[in-house]
Amino acid sequence: MAALQRVTQSSMATGVSSYGTCKGGGAAAIENEVSEKFPSGLRVLVVDDDLTTLRIIEKMSLKCHYRVTTCSEATVALNLLRERKGCFDVVLSDVHMPDMDGYKLLEHVGLEMDLPVIMMSADASTSAVMKGIRHGACDYLIKPVREEELRNIWQHVVRKMCNENKEHENSCSLEDNDRNKRGNDDTEYASSVIDTAEGTAKLSKKRGSLKEDDDDELENEDPSTSKKPRVVWSVELHQQFVSAVNQLGLDKAVPKRILELMNVPGLTRENVASHLQKYPDLVNAVIVNCDIEWQKFRLYLKRINGAAQQQNGITNTVSGSMESKLGGLGRLDIQALAASGQVSPQTLAALHAELLGRPTTNLVPTVDQTALLQASILSSKLYSAEHAVAYGQPLVKCPSIIAKDFPQSILTVDGVSSGYGAWPPSNTIGSVGRNNNLGRANSPASVNQNGIIARNSLIDYSLLTPQSNHSSLNIAQFPGEVTKTRGVLCGYMAPGSISPATSAHSVGANNSNIQQLQNSTLTFGSVRPMPALASNVSDTQVSYSGTKSGDAMDQAPARNLGFVGQGTSIPSRFAAHEIESSVSDFSQGKISVDSNGNTVKEEPSMNAFTE
Amino acid sequence: MLGLGGDRLWADMNRLLAFLFHQGVLDEQFLQLQQLQDHSSPNFVSDVLSIYFHESERLLSNLRSLLMDREFWDYKKMGIHLNQLMGSSSSIGAKRLRNVCLAFRASVDHNNRPGCLRALEMLEHEYCYLKNKLHEYIQIEQQRALAAGVRYPAQNN
Repeated sequence: MAALQRVTQSSMATGVSSYGTCKGGGAAAIENEVSEKFPSGLRVLVVDDDLTTLRIIEKMSLKCHYRVTTCSEATVALNLLRERKGCFDVVLSDVHMPDMDGYKLLEHVGLEMDLPVIMMSADASTSAVMKGIRHGACDYLIKPVREEELRNIWQHVVRKMCNENKEHENSCSLEDNDRNKRGNDDTEYASSVIDTAEGTAKLSKKRGSLKEDDDDELENEDPSTSKKPRVVWSVELHQQFVSAVNQLGLDKAVPKRILELMNVPGLTRENVASHLQKYPDLVNAVIVNCDIEWQKFRLYLKRINGAAQQQNGITNTVSGSMESKLGGLGRLDIQALAASGQVSPQTLAALHAELLGRPTTNLVPTVDQTALLQASILSSKLYSAEHAVAYGQPLVKCPSIIAKDFPQSILTVDGVSSGYGAWPPSNTIGSVGRNNNLGRANSPASVNQNGIIARNSLIDYSLLTPQSNHSSLNIAQFPGEVTKTRGVLCGYMAPGSISPATSAHSVGANNSNIQQLQNSTLTFGSVRPMPALASNVSDTQVSYSGTKSGDAMDQAPARNLGFVGQGTSIPSRFAAHEIESSVSDFSQGKISVDSNGNTVKEEPSMNAFTE
Repeated sequence: MLGLGGDRLWADMNRLLAFLFHQGVLDEQFLQLQQLQDHSSPNFVSDVLSIYFHESERLLSNLRSLLMDREFWDYKKMGIHLNQLMGSSSSIGAKRLRNVCLAFRASVDHNNRPGCLRALEMLEHEYCYLKNKLHEYIQIEQQRALAAGVRYPAQNN
C-alpha cells in the first residue's frame, strides 16, 4: 500500500512535494481516492442550464476519466451537493442560470461544503470574472471549455487541500504572534524576522484602527477566541461580509472596518480576518501587481529564516500580504523593502549581505541622491516608498495616543532595520525625520500634541543616531520654513538636528522634510473641513491616501507653486519632485501603479485614480 | 464499392468542413467536438448538434418575442439569453454565430434598439445558414456510419 502511494505521488506531475505536505488531515480522503493515474476518478459535478455545453463537458470529463455528474439546474445541484456531502471533489458551474445565479451557488458551496468551485461562462468581461473571483471561485473558465482546461482542474482540488492545511497552521502562528506582540507591544518588533514581518503587517492593521484600546481588547480575547467554536459563516453572514468588502472597496477592506460595517454582535475581528483569509482572491485580484515584490520578500524571508520556518514564513507572508495589503501600511513597508531590494544587486540575499555589510554607504547615498538630484529612478522609488511608509504610519497612529505611539513607530522602523537588516541607521534617520513630518501631518489637529510628538521623536531619534553634527546647517535652512509651519516648528527641528551625514545630505533631507511638512499641512487643512474624510484618514492608511490623493490633486498646482517659491533657498527641483513622489507613491500603495518611480508618469496615474 | 463510397463521403465531409472553417462559420472547437465522438458514443456530434439546435431555436424565439415587446424591454433577460446562446455556440465552435451574439450583446448593453433588431436578423440568418450546413454535415456523417457499418462485417468475414 505504501508502495502504491509512493507510485501515486511520483506519478503526480506537478507537486510531489506539495502533495506530500498536504498529507495530513483532510488530505487523507483524497489519498484513498488517489489511484495510479491520479486525476482520473475525480468526482466532478457540472452544473449548466445550457444543455449543449453540459453534454460536451460531460463527454470531455468522461474522456478525462473523471466521474462526472451533470445537472442542468442550480437548485437541484445544490440539493445534490447537500445530500451527498463528500461525494464530490470539484464543482463546475455556469454563471448565468435561470433558477439560481451561479454566484449564489458558488457562495453556498463555498460556505457549506467548502469545495473548489470553477465558474464558466461565455462572458469574458473583466467584471464578470472579477465577480466570480470575489465570490470565491477558484477558477473562471471562458466558454468554450476545452479539454485541456478540463484535464487540469484537479489541481484546484489539491491546491485547496494544501491551502487548508496552510490556513490551519497559519491561524495558529498568527495567534502566537498576537501573543508575542502583546507582550512586546511597545518595545520590540525585531525579535525575529518573521515576527517583524508579521509585526508590521499586524501593526499596520492595528494602526488602521482609530480606537486602539478597543483593538487591544479584541486582541486580548484572542486566546479565548481560538478556543471558542469556530464561527459558522452562514450565507447571510457571508453576504454581509462580501457587501461590506465591496462597500469599503477592496483596498480598504481591513478586518476591523469590515467588522464595523457588518455590525454583527459576537463576531470578532479575528473571525473576520480569518474569513478574509479564506477568500484571499478577493484581495489578490486587486494587488496582483505587488505579488512580484511579495515573492521577493518571501524569498528573502526564507533566506534569512532558514528552511525550518519556511512553511510558516510563506503562510505568514501570505496572510500578511492580505492584511497588510488591505491595511496598506504593512504593504508599503514591504514594498519599501522590495524596492530597496531593487536598488542593491538584484537578489535579496545579496541585498541582505550588502546592507549588513556596509550599512551606511549604500542606502544613504541613494536616498540622499534622490533627495538632491533624483539621480536614480530606483533609488527615488526606494526613498519615496520608504517615505510613504513612515509618513503614513504616525498619521494613522497619532490620533489616538500620540505621545505613546510615536516612539513606537520609530521603533518599528528601527526594528525593521535590525530585523531585516534592510534599514541601516542612516535610513532610520531619514525615516525618523519623516516620522516627525508625520507628526506634523497631524499637527493641524492640535499644535500641542504636535509638540509632544516632535519631542518624543526627537528623543528617540537622538538615541538612535549617534551623529548630530551637521544639525546647524539644517537648522539654518529651517527657519524659512518654520515661519510657515508655526506649531510644527518643534517637530521640524527634531529631524533637522538629528539628520546625519554630510551637510549636503542633510539639506536634502531637510528639504524633503520641509516639503513634507507643507504637504501634510496643506493636505490636512483641506481634509479638515470634511470630517468624513478626516476620519478615514485616521482609520486606515489606504483610505488616508485616498483622501490625500484627492486633495493632493486639487492642491497639486498650488503646492508646487509654493515650493518653487521657497525653492530659492532650496533646490526647487527637488522640492517639486519630492512632493510628487510622495504623493504618487501613495497612489502606488493603493493601486500599485506601475512603480517605475517616474514622477512625471505617476502624476497622470494619480489623476486617473482620483477621477 | 462501398468502401469507395466511404472515402468519397469522407472527402465530402472534409470539403464541407474546410469550407465552413474558411468562411469563419466554425472554428477548431468543432474539431474538439469531433474528437469527443468515439465508439462509446458514436452519434455524439449529431446528438450535441440536435440539442444545440433545439436550445438555440428556443432562445432565438425568446429573443424575438422580447425584442418585439414594444412596451417593456427586458435588457437583462435578453443579456441572459444571449449569454446562453453565446455559450452553447462557442461550445460547438459556431464562431460566426458567437460573434454576432457578441455584437448583439453590445447593442443590448447600449440600449440600442435598432442595433438589436439588426443583430437579431443577422443572428437568425446566421443560425439558418449554420443549421443548413450542419445538417449537411450530419447527413454525410450518417451515410458514412452506414457505409462503415456495412463494411465492418465484410472485413470480419
